Amino acid sequence: MLREAFFGTLLVLSLAAIVYGGFFRSFLVYDNLEKFEKLKNAGITIKIPGYEQKQEEFSVQSQWFSEPEVVNAMTFEGIGRYKDGRLISNYPDLRMLKGRMPCPT
Amino acid sequence: MEKLRLKVQLSVAFVLNLGIFQWHFMCFPVFNCHSCPVSIFSCPIGIIAQFANVGLIPLSVIGTIALAGLLAGRLLCGWACPFGLVQDLLYKIPYVKFSIPHWARFIKYGVFGVLVVLVPIFLTTEFPLFFCRLCPVATIESAIPWAVIRGTTDVVSLSIRMAILFAIIILAMGHRRFFCKVLCPLGACLSVFNRFAQFFPERTADCLACKVCSKVCPMETDPGSSPSAVFEHRSEECISCLECHKKCPTEAIQLWG
Repeated sequence: MLREAFFGTLLVLSLAAIVYGGFFRSFLVYDNLEKFEKLKNAGITIKIPGYEQKQEEFSVQSQWFSEPEVVNAMTFEGIGRYKDGRLISNYPDLRMLKGRMPCPT
Repeated sequence: MEKLRLKVQLSVAFVLNLGIFQWHFMCFPVFNCHSCPVSIFSCPIGIIAQFANVGLIPLSVIGTIALAGLLAGRLLCGWACPFGLVQDLLYKIPYVKFSIPHWARFIKYGVFGVLVVLVPIFLTTEFPLFFCRLCPVATIESAIPWAVIRGTTDVVSLSIRMAILFAIIILAMGHRRFFCKVLCPLGACLSVFNRFAQFFPERTADCLACKVCSKVCPMETDPGSSPSAVFEHRSEECISCLECHKKCPTEAIQLWG
């Protein structure tokens, strides 16, 4: 009886975690402009629309990612934590995270 | 039963590494590195470690592990894990066989807690003791293939990984499923659910206590006893390979808990 009670409780919790995590949970992820700047300073040019602006016009962009999208991004270490606690892309542009498939680390 | 299990293991290993498409947004609760060029699903342990690195909990991944564990305990370790298959094959190689003390099985909980969770939380994923940097499965499926495909400049890191892999191969040749018993963090997660699993081999009243089940068990468990069990007749090490069910003279092992 005790086992069934534990089983039922854990089953409900695990299903709730899958449903909430898989379909409703989302994370706000920011651009990594620092890395973009480093690449730019190193002479590597990445042509991304919106970044052909002057330095003073740079603005950090952010985008909501669902948990499965974050899981996918984590398979290539695509998301990190910035000093102020927010999630940032480990790649120069957020669009390099969504939908990217091959993932060498 | 062993041949059937081998066929299932080979089929699952093949399907998980078909490489024709990639669904890395979801995990399949077996050890199969997502950095492998042909893997389909993400590795649950790799995802937990990466999420720990940014201070988050991957709810869908933990829910998936829990669901798999609740339905069948460590059945996936026995029937679906590609590295379990590798270890089963390694043990068939003639080599000096040895036993391990019972306490060694608790090391895997420490591996999960320290190398998978604490190291990425308090240090970084670049730290040498980060689990994925030591994982033998990642070495086989990711580090070696990518080193061949693209070459590597990090020879020291690759050499350490190869040394760990070599040590585990030798240990798996000498002791059946050494990695599963002692080091596997996913096995540690799933073993917790053996107590509640619905599909699980259990002894019935027809048991003669002949101990044949204990002798054939690859995980050296006794379906009738578990020294630290909350519930009776449940062992956290059982991978539901069903060798005991097949060999039992009185068919005293039922499969549904």
